[in-house]
Amino acid sequence: MIYLYIIGVDMAQPRVFCLVLLTVALGAQALTPSHHLSLSDVERLKGLLSQPFTDLASAYYSIVGLSKLGAAVADENDACQFLKAQLDPMSVDSLFFAAEASQAIADCEMPVSNETRDILLAAVSEDSTVTQIFRAVSALSSLGLPLASQEVVAALVARIAKEDNVLAITTALQTATRLSQQAELGGILEEIEDLAARLDDLGGVYLQFEEGLEATALFVTAAYTLSDHADTEPPLKEDQVIQLVNSVFSKKSWDSRSEAFSVACAAAALSSNRFHVPVIVSTQGPATVSHSQPILHLLVTDILSNPLASANLLVESAQAVASKSVVLSQAPFSLRDGIFELNFMASQPASGYYQFTVAVTGDSRLVANQVELKVKVSTEVAVTNMDLSVVDKDQSIGTKTSRVDYPFKAKGSFTADSHQNFAMNFQLVDANTGVELTPHQTFVRFHNQKTGQEVVFVAEPDSKNLYKFELDTAERKSEFDSMSGTYVLHLIVGDATLENPILWNVADVVLKFLDEEAPAAIQSKTLYMPKPDIQHLFREPEKKPPTVVSNTFTALVLSPFLLLLILWFKLGANISNFSLSPSSVLFHVGHACMLGLMYVYWTHLNMFQTLKYLAIIGSLTFLAGNRMLAQKAVKRLASK
Amino acid sequence: MHGGRVLVCDWLNSEAKGRFTAKADVGLFPKMAPRTSDIQTSRGSTTLLSNKRTVSMAQTKSRLLGNNCIFFLTISSMMHMALADGKTLVLLDNLNIRDTHSIFFRSLADRGFDLTFKTADDPSLSLIKYGQFLYDHLIIFSPSVEDFGGNINVETITSFIDGGGNVLVAAGSDIGDPLRELGSECGIEFDEEKTAVIDHHHYDVSDPGEHTLIVADPENLLKAPTIVGNPSDKPILFKGVGMVADPDNPLVLDILTGSSTSYSYFPDRPISQYPHAVGKNTLLIAGLQARNNARVVFSGSLYFFSDAFFNSAVQKATPGSQRYAQTGNMELAEALSQWVFKEAGVLRVGAVTHHPVGESTPPAAYTITDLVEYSVVIEKLSKGSWVPFDGKDIQLEFVRIDPFVRTYLKKNGDKYSVQFKLPDVYGVFQFKVDYNRLGYTHLYSSTQVSVRPLQHTQYDRFIPSAFPYYASVFSMMGGLFVFSIVFLHMKEKEKSD
Repeated sequence: MIYLYIIGVDMAQPRVFCLVLLTVALGAQALTPSHHLSLSDVERLKGLLSQPFTDLASAYYSIVGLSKLGAAVADENDACQFLKAQLDPMSVDSLFFAAEASQAIADCEMPVSNETRDILLAAVSEDSTVTQIFRAVSALSSLGLPLASQEVVAALVARIAKEDNVLAITTALQTATRLSQQAELGGILEEIEDLAARLDDLGGVYLQFEEGLEATALFVTAAYTLSDHADTEPPLKEDQVIQLVNSVFSKKSWDSRSEAFSVACAAAALSSNRFHVPVIVSTQGPATVSHSQPILHLLVTDILSNPLASANLLVESAQAVASKSVVLSQAPFSLRDGIFELNFMASQPASGYYQFTVAVTGDSRLVANQVELKVKVSTEVAVTNMDLSVVDKDQSIGTKTSRVDYPFKAKGSFTADSHQNFAMNFQLVDANTGVELTPHQTFVRFHNQKTGQEVVFVAEPDSKNLYKFELDTAERKSEFDSMSGTYVLHLIVGDATLENPILWNVADVVLKFLDEEAPAAIQSKTLYMPKPDIQHLFREPEKKPPTVVSNTFTALVLSPFLLLLILWFKLGANISNFSLSPSSVLFHVGHACMLGLMYVYWTHLNMFQTLKYLAIIGSLTFLAGNRMLAQKAVKRLASK
Repeated sequence: MHGGRVLVCDWLNSEAKGRFTAKADVGLFPKMAPRTSDIQTSRGSTTLLSNKRTVSMAQTKSRLLGNNCIFFLTISSMMHMALADGKTLVLLDNLNIRDTHSIFFRSLADRGFDLTFKTADDPSLSLIKYGQFLYDHLIIFSPSVEDFGGNINVETITSFIDGGGNVLVAAGSDIGDPLRELGSECGIEFDEEKTAVIDHHHYDVSDPGEHTLIVADPENLLKAPTIVGNPSDKPILFKGVGMVADPDNPLVLDILTGSSTSYSYFPDRPISQYPHAVGKNTLLIAGLQARNNARVVFSGSLYFFSDAFFNSAVQKATPGSQRYAQTGNMELAEALSQWVFKEAGVLRVGAVTHHPVGESTPPAAYTITDLVEYSVVIEKLSKGSWVPFDGKDIQLEFVRIDPFVRTYLKKNGDKYSVQFKLPDVYGVFQFKVDYNRLGYTHLYSSTQVSVRPLQHTQYDRFIPSAFPYYASVFSMMGGLFVFSIVFLHMKEKEKSD
């Protein structure tokens, strides 16, 4: 069986998630509600319901929902005017919303005509849906009009047979609450039990309809209102009630006004009915007592976080969780300003957890009145006899121990190389009683501020509860990645029962490892980083001989041509026979072009282009040359 | 546990294998290149969950880049398209969690997710039907499940991840074996059942007594706004089991770590062995983006997502600490869900163009030392639509087996572009953009081009050292011309003179 324990609710600072409770399996224990509406939840619920009306239905949900929570709309006159303005006297739904809402507002009468009454009465028949019957009956009863209860019962029974679903039956139950107590409600009352059998059990903690929260909440409301009305105890077991409470109040963020309305109705029904009132026992603030805070404060409330004034609170037993010894039994709490108080430190408990079994009495309606609480007795810790030393492994050099006091840091730093051990001895004592303590967390942390690396060791106590921590530098080098350097040494002491967790910067320790390896590049760090730029390195051009040489040879190569010109000049070369005939001009121009084409071929053209041009220029030159030579020959013959 | 790790490695490497086969294909293409104008492949598309989507994406990316170009374009951004209408299966311990975590589910539903709620042991559960995945995303909010119902088990979930599905897992101190196994498949080792992360120095004032309701500093969040949202100073409430990352798995992201004073152990037992996780190694929330861009987030705490934690005030119990009216849980949970379900941090490649500077179309083959301009459009998914991505560290590689050039791309309007000189080495190269950054999907685009040596006409015509040769040729040509004129037209003097 699952047992739930309750976490403290700080009433001064209402907190929502205090209600998220830890489920702890502790054997056969009674189920206690793990969810209820804290004061801040109630405020948020009211806030949601106080939003401006959009239509008649929203006005109904808001006005009635708020009245269930014991609040009222901001401006009742406005609300009443809104209802009257929106009322459609020919519609059953409209009449229902307006009539029900006006009931919750003081001095707000809805006009009733005979027609209205006829429409409503006509709706009560086997041909209407259950919802129509419910709305008509509610409107009739709210408007103070007479109705025949027995006929309604007959119509309902007939309809339920047709509409066999949870919502319809729940609506039928709600309708029955509006009927005269003299009517035969027995058949309908039995439906409560049938519906309860249809609830889904979720892990033994929640009990709900698969139709959702609204259906479950409305069922709770209807079941208790009808039971009150018929004065018979509802056929729900205590566990079922608690499971229903859990499922209705576990949702803290309501989707719609109608959902909020249904939760408000369920809360009202569960906090004020004649049979079952679930009790919420919670601590004010954390469930902790200590020497400075010796008094345990408990709040006993209903679902809506209203204090139960008539209740009495009694500790049946208080048992240490660790040793199972009973520290306290049958001790009553005293009531002061609505808060139950008990000076638990008066029984001088050791620090640790205590299992309280608390009984709430004073009212026979109370459900879940046996509550298990886990109370913590906390204390303060002090670190004493802190000795730091560096010990040579072969013990050839005597150890030098230095004592450090909390919270100061040791002067100077300690250096340990691979032949040495770094040792640390200390004791942890209860600052209030002087008893030695072994807290849950006693860690020694080495932190390399340069690399951010952090290595944590667990310090363990010996049989005398003396903590001895020894660091073998050579053996532990893998944990430090063989990174030599200055490490900041911290002592971390913590426990759930300690009020003053310690994080003490004890000293600086220089660790020297023998074979220091380069830290392996961690892939994950480089995986998402840009890679280094790569510039392509172009090949160096080959080294060339100096241009002077080539220029000299160029000049040498050109010199024969110059020599030719000079010699020709001396010999008296001439072109006196040149005649400006078209053929000779064309031949020489063509010849020059062909030579020029060779240059262009070298710089720009490919062979095919060159051959094409050459064919044109060449044929022209050939023809011109032929003609020129012919002319020359004719001239020569003529001159002979 | 070690067996599990080996399995992980296999799974992570399978993508790499797919990639190599794609490269082998590339090698064949230059020979038949004249007929190939434009080919695109998506790397590893066979391993994708939805081939349909990938294909359609590849088509949208397709641009006609040239007619007779010898290039081969591979674009793979491996995006399992993140459309917000994703079908999501939510597995719960019991249906009440839908009510206690309604704000989170409502925000998902408001963003267009189609949520299907089932209890984790529902016998009708099924993730894969006839080889098709029935859902795009999976939320496992059932820490204590011992056996999933239907045909879901750890293997189907890992194959779901292999197929590109995204998974959000929330655990708790009541963690069952299947979730621990799933964690170790993904490189995350959960601590044992009934352990909790404990921090005696950073617990909330409303802690129930065991110092397990932890206030995590926002400084311990991963510095990646795409994953954790915009930085805020609101602390985060956490209550649940701790994790450590497998050091051999480089893909695990430490999204939220504990403080130096935190550790993970049984709260109700004295410490008799070294705790599973200590200090900053304690992971509270961890994530993983697999090589196929599937995303997985593990939270050690189911309460982290609850309405109660979303709406709660938070204050460290240490005297004098600041009180915040609201936790940062809601913002973080929303950012995480946006990331894990691919609403954020999703990139894709658009049009890729490249051409020599001064021209507008790519040549059949580039010549060595050409000045080339490359540009690529990169887009980011933002609120369901693709907008230009704004990144400053996108790099282009010019690769022939090894990269020859690696340079940053500059944003130029909607495109990223760069001009660079091709190396003086010929062969088949690829323009490659391989952008892998924290929080973003892996963006990969490669475009193949060939680079040839200089043609014979492209060498220097006049080398100073060879001037004597040119001079001799030109002087011979000049000599021929002058000689021919003189020879033909010289008037000889009368011999008699």
